[in-house]
Amino acid sequence: MEHNVTFLGYIPLLPLIGAAVLGFLHIGTCNRKPLNEKLYGLIACVGPVLAFVLALRVFLTLKGMPEEARYLSQKAFTWFQVGELDITMGFLADPLSSLMLVFVTLIGSLIHIYSIGYMEGDKNIGKFFAYLNLFVGSMLILVLGDNPVVMFVGWEGVGLCSYLLISFYSEETNNVLAGNKAFIVNRIGDLGFVLGMAFLFWAIGAGGFDFFSLKANAHSLTPGIALAVCLLLFVGATGKSAQIPLYVWLPDAMAGPTPVSALIHAATMVTAGVYMVARFSFIYAHVPVAGEIVAWIGILTALLAAIFAMFQDDIKKILAYSTVSQLGYMFAGVGVAAYSAGIFHVFTHAFFKALLFLGAGAIIYAMHHEQNIWKMGGLKNKMPKTYITMLIGALALAGCPPFAGFFSKDEILFSTLATGHYGIWAIGVLVAGMTAFYTFRMIFVVFHGEPRDQEAYDHCHEAPAVMTVPLIILAVGALFAGFLNLPAIFGGNQLVSHWLAPSLVEHHPHVSIFIEIIAIGASVAAFVVGIRIAYKRFAVGAEEPQFSGFCKFAYHKFYIDELYDGVFVQPYKKIGNAIRKTIEPSVTDAPVTLASKLYMVIGTAFKVFQVGYVRVYAIYMIVGLSLMSLLLSQSLN
Amino acid sequence: MFEHVLSVMIFLPIVAGLILLLTPAGKGIARLTGLVISFASLILGLDIFFKFKEQAALQFVENVAWIPAWGINYHLGLDGISLFVLLAGAILLPMVYILFSTKEKGYYANLLIVQGAMAGALCAADMVLFYIFWEIMLLPIFFMLGLYGGENRIKATLKITIYTIAGSLLMLASIIYVGVTYHAQFGEWNFAISQMSQLQLAGPVAVLAFFGFMIAFAIKIPLFPFHTWLPDAYTEAPTATTFVLSAIMAKIGVYAVIRFVVPVFDGEFARFALLLAYSGVIGMMYCGITAIAQKDIKRMLAFSSASHMGIIALGVFCLNVQALTGSIYQIVAHATSTGVLFLFVGIIEDKMKTRQIKDLGGIAYKAPVFAFFFAVAMLASVGLPGTSGFIGEFLIILGAIKFNVVIGVLAGTTLIIGVCYMLWMFQRVFFEKTNDRTEGFTDLSIKEGLTFLPVIVLIVVMGLYPQPFLSKIEPAAQQLIASVTKADSMQIAQSTHAQQSDGHTVEKKN
Repeated sequence: MEHNVTFLGYIPLLPLIGAAVLGFLHIGTCNRKPLNEKLYGLIACVGPVLAFVLALRVFLTLKGMPEEARYLSQKAFTWFQVGELDITMGFLADPLSSLMLVFVTLIGSLIHIYSIGYMEGDKNIGKFFAYLNLFVGSMLILVLGDNPVVMFVGWEGVGLCSYLLISFYSEETNNVLAGNKAFIVNRIGDLGFVLGMAFLFWAIGAGGFDFFSLKANAHSLTPGIALAVCLLLFVGATGKSAQIPLYVWLPDAMAGPTPVSALIHAATMVTAGVYMVARFSFIYAHVPVAGEIVAWIGILTALLAAIFAMFQDDIKKILAYSTVSQLGYMFAGVGVAAYSAGIFHVFTHAFFKALLFLGAGAIIYAMHHEQNIWKMGGLKNKMPKTYITMLIGALALAGCPPFAGFFSKDEILFSTLATGHYGIWAIGVLVAGMTAFYTFRMIFVVFHGEPRDQEAYDHCHEAPAVMTVPLIILAVGALFAGFLNLPAIFGGNQLVSHWLAPSLVEHHPHVSIFIEIIAIGASVAAFVVGIRIAYKRFAVGAEEPQFSGFCKFAYHKFYIDELYDGVFVQPYKKIGNAIRKTIEPSVTDAPVTLASKLYMVIGTAFKVFQVGYVRVYAIYMIVGLSLMSLLLSQSLN
Repeated sequence: MFEHVLSVMIFLPIVAGLILLLTPAGKGIARLTGLVISFASLILGLDIFFKFKEQAALQFVENVAWIPAWGINYHLGLDGISLFVLLAGAILLPMVYILFSTKEKGYYANLLIVQGAMAGALCAADMVLFYIFWEIMLLPIFFMLGLYGGENRIKATLKITIYTIAGSLLMLASIIYVGVTYHAQFGEWNFAISQMSQLQLAGPVAVLAFFGFMIAFAIKIPLFPFHTWLPDAYTEAPTATTFVLSAIMAKIGVYAVIRFVVPVFDGEFARFALLLAYSGVIGMMYCGITAIAQKDIKRMLAFSSASHMGIIALGVFCLNVQALTGSIYQIVAHATSTGVLFLFVGIIEDKMKTRQIKDLGGIAYKAPVFAFFFAVAMLASVGLPGTSGFIGEFLIILGAIKFNVVIGVLAGTTLIIGVCYMLWMFQRVFFEKTNDRTEGFTDLSIKEGLTFLPVIVLIVVMGLYPQPFLSKIEPAAQQLIASVTKADSMQIAQSTHAQQSDGHTVEKKN
């Protein structure tokens, strides 16, 4: 079954070497004579592009193998081994990780190329590319790890890069705060991941802690432990993939440069939670309760984020909430044990969301760092390539047939319906309508109508080719990626689902074609209704609205950030301050202070006897001697 | 010479330090002596590391009768546990002489004496000998703190003195109790640690003696609530002293628990392990939360160090091989991360004449190399995978979960607590805007950079390739756990099957 290959390790290693070289060059030169920007861009692209080539080679190698034997692995060295714990620095490529591998490296490479244009003129471009390479390397470790601990290395590594890149413009306090928030909230999730691993290890880890052995031993997990492991790991997923209650960091993460928002906070890192649940499908599949919780958290997150997205005025915030919302769909999918549907949505979403972000980046770049959609308008004439590619991305996101998002979202909604989760399905359809609404609200306000800021409009221009070419490639993906998993009803044979099947533990429910038609019909109807409302309200001459009532409440994101701040952050700081000011000096330190005071008191007490007159000491002597002789005489008797 | 390598490691620095104090040598000579001798110790330490065999027994043993009438011997030896604490000291101490080049003669002389005495405490295989080195090692600390410390040094010195003398007295009483009991049970005087595990200790006096040892070591580590000397002493002490205290001396406290308390008082230790474990995690959380409110970076790091020591101590109390091995690994990891962070703060203080967080900012733009090194040490301190901090922390949390789920979950919160104060500090010191003061911050010189580079590399190497270290620690840890659980140690060391039954007995005891 196992097939050992030695080049898997190079896939993450190449971008990591790139990061080291770039970091070294940047640190060495940044305060002296800066190097040529183009050089940084060139070095930066080498790692991800070579990794993409290797990823394709892995994919094709797997494809050439018989379906049941598609499993490549490399055990580089024993990482740490203590008692029954034996962790290998090992990598594993199977259909699931190879699919992730291909699109992570492809989108990663495109975003590196795009960044050459977007980051032009930034004096910290070397640092930027070093972090970006480090990110790609970490993400590939996450995807390729052959045991949960190696996966966790990538898991935390991408979290670190996310922190570094969010606080990239670190002179602004708010950016750094957003970075801190991302790291800390992710760490809360990571605690769940670590505890989940610990429980899993003590339950079945003695027989080997790699995914292969865990899968083989999963049947001996007791239901209680299995549930605990599933839920703890899911806590990790809610942190990384921005689900309720830990989603709050992602919208703030938009403080980072836009290519980062596209690569890390839309296409790759945030989908790691979904990937992890799919990777552990051999446990989740046996704990329906855990799946139920995952699915409900997912769909509620989808709903909440969609509500927020409808009222935002920052183009990146709209896209950020839409990412949270789409991630919610993915969890709804993997929650109802439709793992391949969830992963398929990860795959298509990566294309159209990266596209939308990069398009937004092109607009922000052209508008001189203006992100408020109410300052834009009519841009389709000035930026036709950006307009057309973003329109494709928007149609895919909104779920318009036959764009990529339609097929993957429909697959998830169909699965919820087919497994009898009618509530989740109904919310999902509602969210689909809302998605169409807020997406086209953005498109209409930004590209259609009259310019709202004439001066900015006049200076606006199409982005250079180095930025538009990646947009076009991604647009092709957003258009056609959906066909890869065309369901039977449209004459396809679900290539992606079949490809993923050996890696996942799932069974496809057989339902009547009637249900399939209902699911498709509802999705299409929701899309049409959503886009129609958006067209009526925003297509021509819409003004920036003044919100009141519920809209204002939603515009302020239900004040959840303020709530967290008041309930967690401020009390935490207050406790720290209280300890510093009160408890530390007067409670925990009391015994020591008391001891030294006691010495003083005793000293003062004895001072009374030390009068300094010989006659007094003579009396002490006589008293003492008589007492002694008394005692002696008694003991002799 | 190499038959007595441990004696050389101990007495070479002590004798050199004493000679410096007694002769009218100048500052330059003193520093040079320190540099040469610390490098000699480093070479000897590395030689010991590579010659060390992966087994549980004491190695490099020297045993000479000292006071035969009382059975007290000059008995030295190393095992996988003491090896790493010794090595951490040998690797890190040369840095101090390179980085801080303009101090008084007494400063360098005291450093030398403390280095030798610490080596002595780590190598001693006789309880009385250990006690003597333990006391000697504190004297230079008092002098350095009292003579070269900051404004409030007198108060800090007084505090640490009260604490450590109280601890030492308790320990002395306990050592005497153990010796007398041995005499009563076996009819001869003996203070060799290896013999003490045969003792049958029971009854209330044994419990008192157990706490005598535990409190002495708890003060040194420090365990909550015996930590209150630490923030004052760490903050007021000169950088090198704080560095020695945090990077090495605190670890000798943990080491002493492993060496004396666990094998001798196995019954009491298993009985009170849960209580001690709570003390460890509560201390970790308490000090971690306190750290966020500090205004002085050094004081913040002092609390951070105390917080980490809580987790390291916890690893010893969990009574399983993963947690114990993790603890010992973390001892070295913590020395390379937090210890080095104290040195970095010393550099900031030297350059900026302040340690107040609010007066700093934007250092990262002025000093990218410094900021990068600082960030690596900081990430190791918060336990990021790929750095040395992760391996130990992960093993301890893993072991803690097996020991007691509540303890394990609480221990896990260190993942969150650590990043909170560290990131917020990093933001205010290294990010945000520069001010008039930090505008003049210069990056590390080439000499300074090259001094830190090996440690920064070590942090990453220990994170990515810890196995050579772990395989030297594990046999000793296995044997210790086996001795506590009174199982057949030979079997345990060899078969993983036996380990599981060993684990179950631990759980039953609690």
